[in-house]
Amino acid sequence: MKKYLLKITLTLTVCIMFSCDTAKEKSDEINIYSQRHYAVDELQYENFTKQTGIKVNVTKANADELIQRMKIEGSSSPADLFITVDVGKLWQAGDMGLLQKIKDETITSGIDSEFLDPNNYWIPLTYRSRVVVYSKERVDVNDLSTYEDLANEKWKNRLLIRSSSNSYNQALMSSLIANLGSDVAEDWSTKIVSNLAREPKGNDRDQVKAIASGQGDIAVVNSYYIGLLLSSEKEEELKAGNSVGVFFPNQAENQRGAHVNVSGIALTKNAPNRENAIKLISFLTSQSAQQTYVNNTYEYSINSSVEPNEIVKSWGDFKKDKLDLNMLGVKRNEAIRIFDKTGWK
Amino acid sequence: MEVNFFKIKKSNYSLLTVVFLATLIILPILSLFIGSIGIDISNFLYLSEYLLLDYTISTVYLLSLTLVFSFMFGVIPAWLISTSRFRGRKIYDLLLYLPLAIPTYIMAFSYGDILSFSGPFQSFVRDFIPSLTNFVNQDYLQIEILAILLAFSLYPYLYAACRISFSLIGNNYINLSKNLGLNEINTFLKVGIPLSRPAIFSAIFLISMEVLNEYGAVSYFGVNTYTSGIFRAWGSMADMETASLLAIVLFLVVCLFFGLEKWLSSKFKYNFKSNSDLSPYFKNSNKKLIFTHISCMIIILAAFAIPILYMVNNIIIDIDNIDFFDVYNLSKNTVIVSLVSSILIVVVVILIQYLKRISKSKILNFTGETISLTYAIPGAVIGISLILLFSPINDYFGFLLIGSIPVLIYAYFIRYMAVAVSPIVSSFKKYPMKLDDSGKSLGLKPFEFFRKIFLPLNKSAIIIAFCICFVDIMKDLPLTLILRPFNFDTLATQTYEYAIEEMITKSSIYSITIVIFGVILLSILSVNQSKK
Repeated sequence: MKKYLLKITLTLTVCIMFSCDTAKEKSDEINIYSQRHYAVDELQYENFTKQTGIKVNVTKANADELIQRMKIEGSSSPADLFITVDVGKLWQAGDMGLLQKIKDETITSGIDSEFLDPNNYWIPLTYRSRVVVYSKERVDVNDLSTYEDLANEKWKNRLLIRSSSNSYNQALMSSLIANLGSDVAEDWSTKIVSNLAREPKGNDRDQVKAIASGQGDIAVVNSYYIGLLLSSEKEEELKAGNSVGVFFPNQAENQRGAHVNVSGIALTKNAPNRENAIKLISFLTSQSAQQTYVNNTYEYSINSSVEPNEIVKSWGDFKKDKLDLNMLGVKRNEAIRIFDKTGWK
Repeated sequence: MEVNFFKIKKSNYSLLTVVFLATLIILPILSLFIGSIGIDISNFLYLSEYLLLDYTISTVYLLSLTLVFSFMFGVIPAWLISTSRFRGRKIYDLLLYLPLAIPTYIMAFSYGDILSFSGPFQSFVRDFIPSLTNFVNQDYLQIEILAILLAFSLYPYLYAACRISFSLIGNNYINLSKNLGLNEINTFLKVGIPLSRPAIFSAIFLISMEVLNEYGAVSYFGVNTYTSGIFRAWGSMADMETASLLAIVLFLVVCLFFGLEKWLSSKFKYNFKSNSDLSPYFKNSNKKLIFTHISCMIIILAAFAIPILYMVNNIIIDIDNIDFFDVYNLSKNTVIVSLVSSILIVVVVILIQYLKRISKSKILNFTGETISLTYAIPGAVIGISLILLFSPINDYFGFLLIGSIPVLIYAYFIRYMAVAVSPIVSSFKKYPMKLDDSGKSLGLKPFEFFRKIFLPLNKSAIIIAFCICFVDIMKDLPLTLILRPFNFDTLATQTYEYAIEEMITKSSIYSITIVIFGVILLSILSVNQSKK
């Protein structure tokens, strides 16, 4: 039996030695930790590899796990780039000292300035808005105005929104705190909870379906989920998508504009393949790659000269909240506390 | 008193081996403990003040409901199938294992869609039974429904455990109970269940751990469990240390219950002699036959056929966009890691349990019982604890152990050990020590005895352990997501990535592939079971 154990141990050790990479820099590769997992991302990386010969390695997981992993790995982390779908997580990674600044005119010149990080820790790739959708049958669009107005009693038992553990809701709450102060935000949250047609649950699509089924009349959802529903191959989903209208809140002249969040990319503190990583960022923000994003997802391009997908275009242009996007991360902890205090599950 | 013929000195290598293996399993938990020493407890206090009570109450409610439903779907059919003979029995026996191959979050997302306003169920009613339209138009995302769905994908643990146990009760006990004037229902309650108590407990333990660690399905249904608290601390409050502390508290509570059960079961010992005479069949009244058929069919239909049909329909809709080469590649990845890990697990569990058996050391006994407790820690937390554990090696040697296949397999090994322990332990326990003694008197050495006699005797339990392990690892999500190598996807991660982006249609081809592999394995299991 000793013999067997010895054999097993030896084999395992050899296997481990062989299957591990060394942390050394490889000139023709880049390593990405990504929270984005859309099919279009793979297409972008393939195109990049074709163009430059640089191989793109990706690990996809939840943003919090990836941040934790980078933190523990420290200087031996293989990651060059970190990609998220919520700017709050990029801010958090920067705040934890996991990122390095990128100052590259050639990259930033192609990006609308309102989406740029004043601290240069991250670069936006796409953006999306958290919009209000309403039942075309039961809601007069003139009754809709702002996020603040969703707290109005006229929406009692009519409002649908998902759980407060969802990062898009956390970002929205953070934007309210940053714009209006925490007292107003807390009051708003209390009233929102009392207006809810049902306890927060399901994903964004489910809120739209709940409007279609008559469980509520208005919902707060991310814009691209409506695009997904409207392009569904299932007839019933199309019907649900068509039963609602898309409304961008806070558009009046003296108002701040609709809440937006960016999906962005950042260079890690110890990026072993820094040069290549910058090349990829530059590629992903280029006009052609931006075109690929909007053609394949229902997100908006961070380059205003790239027009969105037809479905998205049909909702019209809108005014965007000009808040420093880092606030969506800075105010996050406060946002959570308000959710918990006011019973937003 | 049984005499231990295979005397093994305490300093012997067997003890060392077990201690070494146990250390491997305990290390990550230890690193968690160390990680949470001296943390700022303000977030912990905050969570306790606002959320933990609510979370704990809904956890207990969800867990109790899920266990009740699992009992209904698992134990009752297992009794009916083990104790009576009727046409279609073998088919039911096979089909009743299969829902185990459907990951819980897929069960939840699928039914969420099936029952939704735009889903097939309500559309069908609108088109064909318009008078019921309003009646079926409900909010189905309810905790009670979640409990049923969790039970759908978890009851097979109970079913498998009870099938083995019930079919071993044998004639003597059943006849005795008949002679005492007990009818079948009373025999089931007063003989069947008590005699299967250890098997039922170990299955309930697994189901409970799965429910406690479930996050995807639970958050989709808007239910906050204790694990939601862990992820709230980690995700929303960016406080991994508090999350670890919460995980440790949960771990300790589970240990407490585990210890309590052990203590209770040592107080109420049933003198149970297994009996291989396999004809304890009750007569089938028509009523009972109808009940059997209806209950088995409903369970199979709801827990397996409907979700499968839903997936198949999705695949047909999306057939033009499916990249079958990708499906093939991911299947290859999935099968390789699941295969290696489950073989490793089964070998180690057998080793530990057998050494425990022949050495009778208290330390071994304790380790053998407790290694499965790691199942109480959420996978994502185990993942982080392993990163903590291995990052010094990364630093010193320049090897990237984190994000390598061996570490991923090590992670599976720690996490899914529990799944293999219970079938193997209960099978080993069935054979009295006398057997080992007779082996000794035949002049066999411990290892020879094991290879020639003990292993073949326990073959079927080992196959069961392997199959369930394999299926569970194939479905694994949290460990794979965070520990996998670059560009390494499995069927489960791909399914999840689409599902989380609300593209359930696209995820179906991957989830059904998991199910197909699961079905193949579970069929082996079931065939093997009925041969017995």
